[in-house]
Amino acid sequence: MATVVTVTSGKGGVGKTTSSAALAAGLAKAGHRTVVIDFDVGLRNLDLIMGVERRVVFDFVNVISGEATLNQALIQDKRMENLSILAASQTKDKDALSEEGVGQVLDQLADMGFEYIVCDSPAGIERGATMALHFADHAVIVTNPEVSSVRDSDRILGILQSKSKRAKEGGKVQEHLLITRYDPVRVDQGEMLSKEDVCDILAVKLIGVIPESKAVLKASNTGVPVILDEDSDAGKAYSDAVARFLGDDRPLRFVTAKKQGLLSRILGGGD
Amino acid sequence: MTSMPRIRANRYSVMTLEWPKDSGPLDSWLRLQCDKAPALMQEIAIVLKPAMEHTASEISEAVDLLDQLGIGLIGLTGDPQHRTVADELGLAWLSSNNVTVDPDTPEAVSARSPVPDETRNSALVIEGPVRSGVQIYAKDRDLVIIGQVSEGAEIMADGHVHVYGRLRGRVAAGVSGQADAEIFCLTFEPELVSLAGMYCGSDQIPEELWSARVRVGLDGTAQKLTFALMG
Repeated sequence: MATVVTVTSGKGGVGKTTSSAALAAGLAKAGHRTVVIDFDVGLRNLDLIMGVERRVVFDFVNVISGEATLNQALIQDKRMENLSILAASQTKDKDALSEEGVGQVLDQLADMGFEYIVCDSPAGIERGATMALHFADHAVIVTNPEVSSVRDSDRILGILQSKSKRAKEGGKVQEHLLITRYDPVRVDQGEMLSKEDVCDILAVKLIGVIPESKAVLKASNTGVPVILDEDSDAGKAYSDAVARFLGDDRPLRFVTAKKQGLLSRILGGGD
Repeated sequence: MTSMPRIRANRYSVMTLEWPKDSGPLDSWLRLQCDKAPALMQEIAIVLKPAMEHTASEISEAVDLLDQLGIGLIGLTGDPQHRTVADELGLAWLSSNNVTVDPDTPEAVSARSPVPDETRNSALVIEGPVRSGVQIYAKDRDLVIIGQVSEGAEIMADGHVHVYGRLRGRVAAGVSGQADAEIFCLTFEPELVSLAGMYCGSDQIPEELWSARVRVGLDGTAQKLTFALMG
């Protein structure tokens, strides 16, 4: 039985694709056979973040419309053999995603022995997003500590618990909250919502807090999921989040502001 | 567990179409009503109450007309002499409530004996959280929310609204004009409060009530919202 994990947020630009890539790579690293699918048809990005953009021949929509087999479209990651990527089409639009077609692809992936199917949802609450969350068993809600992002996440949670297949069958999609771009210094200054505020508003179990980090942009630009950058704060935070997702109990890191000495404050040092 | 069929006393709300003998043509009047409120006229259940002077053929024509207009006629009422007309047309006969009964007859005794009140609708209970963008309406009943109501959510009821949690969204009680409806809430931080059509935004809510346990009602004139702290 494959577990479908949808990474979603409502709002754009909060780090869904970065988190999808990190989660998929993290699950694969933990020994689980994992595939990550880009649902952002027309605005594909996941292939870049995963560093496979030059290897995309066939995509998700080709498979749905029967123009290619799943085996032809799946791209195996060169770093980890149990991780595969299914890219989105850049030339089609989201109407190409039919519920039946998506369901068939997910079933096929499960038959191929994938344990985790990570769905990278597009922003918004339209077709691409609803298709990505329709088949979800788990949902990772990515939120920035900022009111509009939190409100949009609340909205997507409502859709998840009313329109997903599980909800319609009377079940419940398991929700996990992932706060990204967290800056403890700005939280202390009152410029950013604290993780407690976000948890209080959304009432969802927190699986991770990813600090605002230069490593994320660097990882995106070089096509390496940031979780593989094991020295970076964001990479460590994502590793913790994946471990918590898999049931491990770990304390949160990088959530308190570092006390800066007088010298480093003057020199503007520290990171 | 198998459930058995059973007969229970229930009361339904049914409209009565009163049709005096000296009124104008029923046809044009009904068509006008259907134009004004098409959805209402198609959805309601109606009982026709002709005047005593109407003949059987007039009543039969009126019944055909209602049928043409798609109005759900369920029976006839009024003067007992029309009961046979109802039988002939295959309609139910509903005796009027204000029938005078001789106090010594068995009917009168049963009418006075306490009967379980089956008109009460049980409350709609929702286990939260109620998320942004979700709308919940408890028609003809109370609404109970267990958990929080997020900003951007709307909860409404014809009866009372109870929120056992944090209320951040919009709340409306007595939405069909029930001035006795109230709102009860454990942590009161609403975007908008409305009671029987009277409303106020969060900026008009007294500061000392914010985040408190609050009960909202209407004052005697039904023109002003009243807020009270609950113990």
